[in-house]
Amino acid sequence: MAMGKSDEGMRSSRLVFYKEDIEKIDRVLLQFLKSANAKCALLVDKDGHLVTKSGEASTYDMDTISALVAGSFAATKQMAKLLGEEEFSIMFHQGKKDNIQLSLVGDRTILSIIFDDKTTLGMVRLYAGQVAMKLGTLFDEIAQRKSEAESISKDFGQAAKNKLDDVFGS
Amino acid sequence: MVQINFARREVNCKIVYYGPGLSGKTTNLELIHQKAGQGIAGQLTSIATEQDRTLFFDFMPLDIGSVAGMKTKFFLYTVPGQVYYNSTRKLVLQGADGVVFVADSDPNRMSDNLDSLKNLEENLKDYNLDPKKIPFVIQYNKRDLPAAMPVAELDNKLNRWKIPTYEAVAVKGEGVMQTLKGLSKMIIERLNDDYGKQPAGATAVPAPPPAAKPATAKPAAPAPAPRPAPAPVAAASKPSAPAPRPAPVPAARAQSTPSAKPSPMAGRSTHGSAKPAPATARPAPATSKKPARGGGGGGGAGKWVAIILILLVVGAAAAYFVLRMK
Repeated sequence: MAMGKSDEGMRSSRLVFYKEDIEKIDRVLLQFLKSANAKCALLVDKDGHLVTKSGEASTYDMDTISALVAGSFAATKQMAKLLGEEEFSIMFHQGKKDNIQLSLVGDRTILSIIFDDKTTLGMVRLYAGQVAMKLGTLFDEIAQRKSEAESISKDFGQAAKNKLDDVFGS
Repeated sequence: MVQINFARREVNCKIVYYGPGLSGKTTNLELIHQKAGQGIAGQLTSIATEQDRTLFFDFMPLDIGSVAGMKTKFFLYTVPGQVYYNSTRKLVLQGADGVVFVADSDPNRMSDNLDSLKNLEENLKDYNLDPKKIPFVIQYNKRDLPAAMPVAELDNKLNRWKIPTYEAVAVKGEGVMQTLKGLSKMIIERLNDDYGKQPAGATAVPAPPPAAKPATAKPAAPAPAPRPAPAPVAAASKPSAPAPRPAPVPAARAQSTPSAKPSPMAGRSTHGSAKPAPATARPAPATSKKPARGGGGGGGAGKWVAIILILLVVGAAAAYFVLRMK
């Protein structure tokens, strides 16, 4: 196996989020939660990884929700294509107490908003549309800007391998 | 794709178990779930049919803890093996950082193995991924079958890339962790090569290729498999019973529902309980209790303009009547 050889398909699509970017995103999400009176907002990338979260999210299994959100969105996209649409940009699931709305932000992230009967779907949709635009602009700025480089440690590779030996046995 | 999140101090990698139906992909995840220590394996979620066949994917997060200051997680997915589920299989493969191909050692399943491998290649190609270059291993499962094909023969037919292979009896947990560890190390090695030595000034989202390729440091740790070697980790002692799909976990798999709700049981419950998707949506915003304010964020300013206009009209009317009275 030629490890370390480049494979553009995988390499070019790697997602890196820096602290300052996430802080900006968090501020936008927090403002949104106040305006829409929603419980919690999650930003998930299309591969199912959580980017950031805001609000009352501590009780949820974020990893699983993120994976299912991305899977659900991907499946819906396929459905849309079969119907001649490029994709459905909004999805909504209604529960007895909590509801979730998913909307696409930019090309690669999904905004998931969990809300209950303290607010309405109309309010959530209204403000979600605005926040999606703000985040889209923010993502454009982030993509354009050169970051002054946080980086994972050079020891990361060896440390991770040692850790894998510890966890899975040598 | 690997997500590196400096705000959350996380590195997240996606591993996909691929292979023909009933080759043991879900079993691999179930056994990893059982064998991984407390607090390492998260909840195993399956989106499956009533017959316990994977409909969309199985999912399990694996948190190996902090590595060089970064919380490192592997997200394990399986794909549905049946031929007719290719569209969902392809969706799950999207963004994969590494792939395990789980092959069935039963000679009668060789054509299924070959079909699935061909399908994997096609789907990878659609994502612009080359099986020779991505972290990719093959697991020869069901080595305990009495008629299991010899590893050399399996290698000859399935492993034309000379990638690492592992023998396994997933139903007994043999070779399962070795396979996962081997692939995980390949992913980490690649990540470290590509990113760990990347100089400052990288573009943020998405990250570009590194400016200069660092000298590749081959791992000192035990390599998963030398390329030509058929099987680096032997798992199979040759017991007799064939390996049907096990149910090592009391399974209440989500039944034909596209969403699975996480179990409320703290941390380690095996399968999420099914929760039917809502059939109807709420009324449209127009019928909601709080009507949408015109102009959204500018609603406050609009209200003041309206008040001023009303005052002006009232004032003008009052002035008109006063003048007429005179």
